[in-house]
Amino acid sequence: MAEMWITMGPQHPMTHGLWTLRVKVDGETVTDTEAELGYIHRGVEKICEARDFTQITPYCDRLCYVSAMTWAHSYIMAAEDLLEAEVPERAEYIRLMAAEVQRLASHLMWLGAFGPDIGNLTLMTWCLRDREMFLDLLQELGGSRMHYNYPRVGGVKRDIPIGWANRLKAKVRLFENRINEYEMLLDESTIWLVRLQGVGYATAEDQIDAGVTGPNIRAAGVNADARWTNPYSVYDEVDWEPAVEKPTSIKGADCYDRYRVRMEEMRQSCRMLLDAIEKIPGGANTHYQPGDEMIITKAPTRAPEGSTGFSTYECTRGVSNFYLQGGGDSRGKNPYRVSIRSPMFITIPYVAKTMIGYKVADIPAIMGSFDPCIGETDR
Amino acid sequence: MTEMGTTVTKEQNSSAAKIAAESVSSRFGEAGVVAEVASHSAGKKYDFVRIRCSGTQWRAVAKHLKYECGVNHCAMVSGTHYPEGGSEKGWEVAYHMNRWPIHNVEAHTMTVHKGEELKGDDIPVEFEIFIDLPAGDAPSVPSIQDLWVGADWNEKETWDLVGIDFEGHENMHRVLNPHDSPVGFHPLQRQHKIRYHDFNEMYDDPQGFGRKPVDEGRVK
Repeated sequence: MAEMWITMGPQHPMTHGLWTLRVKVDGETVTDTEAELGYIHRGVEKICEARDFTQITPYCDRLCYVSAMTWAHSYIMAAEDLLEAEVPERAEYIRLMAAEVQRLASHLMWLGAFGPDIGNLTLMTWCLRDREMFLDLLQELGGSRMHYNYPRVGGVKRDIPIGWANRLKAKVRLFENRINEYEMLLDESTIWLVRLQGVGYATAEDQIDAGVTGPNIRAAGVNADARWTNPYSVYDEVDWEPAVEKPTSIKGADCYDRYRVRMEEMRQSCRMLLDAIEKIPGGANTHYQPGDEMIITKAPTRAPEGSTGFSTYECTRGVSNFYLQGGGDSRGKNPYRVSIRSPMFITIPYVAKTMIGYKVADIPAIMGSFDPCIGETDR
Repeated sequence: MTEMGTTVTKEQNSSAAKIAAESVSSRFGEAGVVAEVASHSAGKKYDFVRIRCSGTQWRAVAKHLKYECGVNHCAMVSGTHYPEGGSEKGWEVAYHMNRWPIHNVEAHTMTVHKGEELKGDDIPVEFEIFIDLPAGDAPSVPSIQDLWVGADWNEKETWDLVGIDFEGHENMHRVLNPHDSPVGFHPLQRQHKIRYHDFNEMYDDPQGFGRKPVDEGRVK
């Protein structure tokens, strides 16, 4: 049969955003692919050069609209490396909890969007119902539902409100039961298994060579996680272990393994949250005023010329990096250069190539299982 | 609440970074490649390896990193333009790489590393490589696309945004800018200023304190 190129996207349910997958098909079989990105390139790196270190945080929130807290945290770690700021331990705990609540919200958004890809439309409403619980918690911290602008160089904007700890505990305990419900629904659902098992194989070594990180690589049987390989925050003090899944084939992890590893990762986040809220220095039901030295320390606002800052951060979709350069007096309080590494920018071209050999109908399952987010991809 | 999360200890990290830095400097030290152990100045203040080399040495150093030091993840490639950096340093390329203990597993098995028990080449190390390029209109470094697949799109992005050419890179094309962008347009170069409506000075005066009314100096 004659081969032809078809274009999926930029408006297509499979894309989870705006980008184009060009697929070369031979009948129903994919024989070649090409990813086209850049539809929502906003020039964040350039804009950041004209902003001071605090003003950059909201732009980093908007890099990924389903995982704003982790991106802002990732940026602020690089800024602290550049400006040599110390962070109080209570602030580190608050940031850890904020990041893990965000991870739950982000994975729920992924599951909610992945369900309709596979043919389970109801999943979207259930997952967004649960996600809203966690967005409420984050709203109490940052004041906004999605873009929090919460971390500051040297600490956090505000302390956790009185009662937040109790609400967190109640919601996390409820959600732990909900994870069981989701698993009862999905783990052995025929549609789920038929669509996900045996497609989209990816081995650990192939993925790390291509720069794919995060849950996708943990699904392939290795517990590589920047939270312990490049330690930051207080992840070494709380109770958790990296979620990891046994791949079902020598060819690596399939879509079902990637679904399983994210469910397990949500459990680990819950475990971490329940432990961190007990261990937080200063007590979970104390509220320190903004600017208190328990939650923020004074940090320099100007970076000397030639100084660099770098962060490695386990974002919800993989490892994100920020690389900052200080500009000295001529740049005032602004950095000279901000460079952002988005895990999905590297993953999407890789995933496009893993689709070769599968059927056109498998494309939404394969793409969705890698959890694409175009906000961070295009920056 | 019994056991803690796993982690890599400071002792493991410093010894592994030291061994990796020594491995690079013993091989390339005479050629002028500088490899040293540096440490982050915030957070856990962990050590990493910082390497400075020239564009002509880069391929050899990269191969050494991949085959001798076990670097398996090319995290990011960042280009920077220094119009006022002098003739020696008109541009800089920074590579960030990682060595992580990641290997394929058999079906239905998994590798669960305990960070504290890792030894030798399994200990994660972070690498930072700086390459200074002379001033000029055509900055260029050799491509490492064939060594790490992950470098492929990073190099495409750096060429697209900063305009640094990667010699030997196959299939170079625009990735974030439109395909019909003018040849030679690379927005992160310093001659391009951010415009905000009509205010060209936004770039150096983001809060607009230096803005003047348009009829400044005219008799009213």
